[in-house]
Amino acid sequence: MAEPLRVIDFGCSQPLRSQTLWHAIGYGVSAGAAGALSFTRPAAPYVCLGYHRGIDEVDHDYCQANGLPVLRRMVGGGSVYLDADQLFFQICLPARAVPAARYHALRMLLEPAVTAFRVVGVPAALDDDLEICVGDRKICGHGAGQIEDAVVVCGNLIERFDHKRAARVLALPDPAQRDQTLALMRRFVAATPVDPAAFQAAMISAYAAALGLSAVPGKLTGTERSAVADLDEKFSSDSWLVGPAHPVAAVRAGPRARQVKVRAGVWTLAAAYDGAQVAASVVRGTVDRVRLRDGELNGSIHQAERALIGIPLHSVAQVLAGFGDPGRRLAAAFASADPGSF
Amino acid sequence: MAQEERVIVAGFPLALDRRYHAETHMWVLLTGPSRARIGMDPLGIETSGTLAELSFLPVGTKLTAGRPFGQLEAAKFVGPLVSPVSGAVLAVNDEVAVDVALAERDPYGAGWLIEANLSDAAGELPGLLADTAEVIAWFAAKIADYRRKGVIAQ
Repeated sequence: MAEPLRVIDFGCSQPLRSQTLWHAIGYGVSAGAAGALSFTRPAAPYVCLGYHRGIDEVDHDYCQANGLPVLRRMVGGGSVYLDADQLFFQICLPARAVPAARYHALRMLLEPAVTAFRVVGVPAALDDDLEICVGDRKICGHGAGQIEDAVVVCGNLIERFDHKRAARVLALPDPAQRDQTLALMRRFVAATPVDPAAFQAAMISAYAAALGLSAVPGKLTGTERSAVADLDEKFSSDSWLVGPAHPVAAVRAGPRARQVKVRAGVWTLAAAYDGAQVAASVVRGTVDRVRLRDGELNGSIHQAERALIGIPLHSVAQVLAGFGDPGRRLAAAFASADPGSF
Repeated sequence: MAQEERVIVAGFPLALDRRYHAETHMWVLLTGPSRARIGMDPLGIETSGTLAELSFLPVGTKLTAGRPFGQLEAAKFVGPLVSPVSGAVLAVNDEVAVDVALAERDPYGAGWLIEANLSDAAGELPGLLADTAEVIAWFAAKIADYRRKGVIAQ
């Protein structure tokens, strides 16, 4: 007989609980409870930071003025805006039940969600970056993590997406970068307004079938209820919100670009060097859109901007070398960006 | 520190001057009496995917064998860096926290993760793999197992 997969629908949850409820399941599964597929929908909008994201990535003044709580989760990914138009799901299993390699574990735990999207009529696919997409547009934001001896992968059904607010909650001092980030979000992040009940039913069937488990209505265990209380306190504390220490400032000298990832391979940067300023969109390694500023490049600004469109990021300095000292300053600003995992 | 001796096992470098935790792929290199440097071997890194972030507990924090001394993020997946020993964090490698690819480029050298003092060296070190033949056999078996399961490339 198949092992059980608890199905827990938390319904609408206040922002804090929309995080702590499913994190608590991680502790329960780690302690021996059956795996779980859970669902929740935020009762109010808020902002959530991935475990390693800097606290300064979010515009706290804007969030405070608009009543948006800011929380930090234990799983990975970026700083995101959540609201009641997004239905969140979480699949949580014992770590021993998933492959040791994270890529394979993620693939295993995201593929049933792709199946569910397809069942409700969305032609979704899991791309090589492990993002659930339709064409080149991401339709599901996901994150994953290990909580003690349990692995959890979470994602969402985006019924409607407030691109403008998702860009606005980010701390982006350069308005050009904000405009570019919003434009890329509109281009590369899409909602799929399907019937959420049908999607939920498809998810339950798809995960049970893929994992060889028997879906049963579930509830939190005593361990999990205790963990909710502990996590409510932890996630409400300033020390948790600040996040893990990151020594970048102490180790890396010089200016650093402000970078925002919209989806894998799609990001914006804003950087300055010795009076020169750059705001650029990068799509699959090439410059998609750019705004340059340098006091000495007056007549050639637009020429330089046009010259950069479609240029691979690694060739930007070569192109800008044709624009004298201002070009070298702008190239130095570009160089402060770290394509790394973007 | 002892002179590093390294061999290649089925395409992966293996340093023979240190001890290994068989399950977590953490290595422990003694750097003084009750003092050690800790890092992750190339198999551990390979199975994690392309590293995006590393974070460590602050210097001075107590370490417990089997409990996390930090977190690793790859492919939006955050997971614990599990300490193979008990003691306390003496130093963290800020360079690798800033440039996580350092752990991929030089896992046995500049890509070390933390330094620790050991509170139970006599009790815990014998539980780690140290014998050269044993270490090579374990590493080769892990590679074969991961390749059989498609976890790492052939």
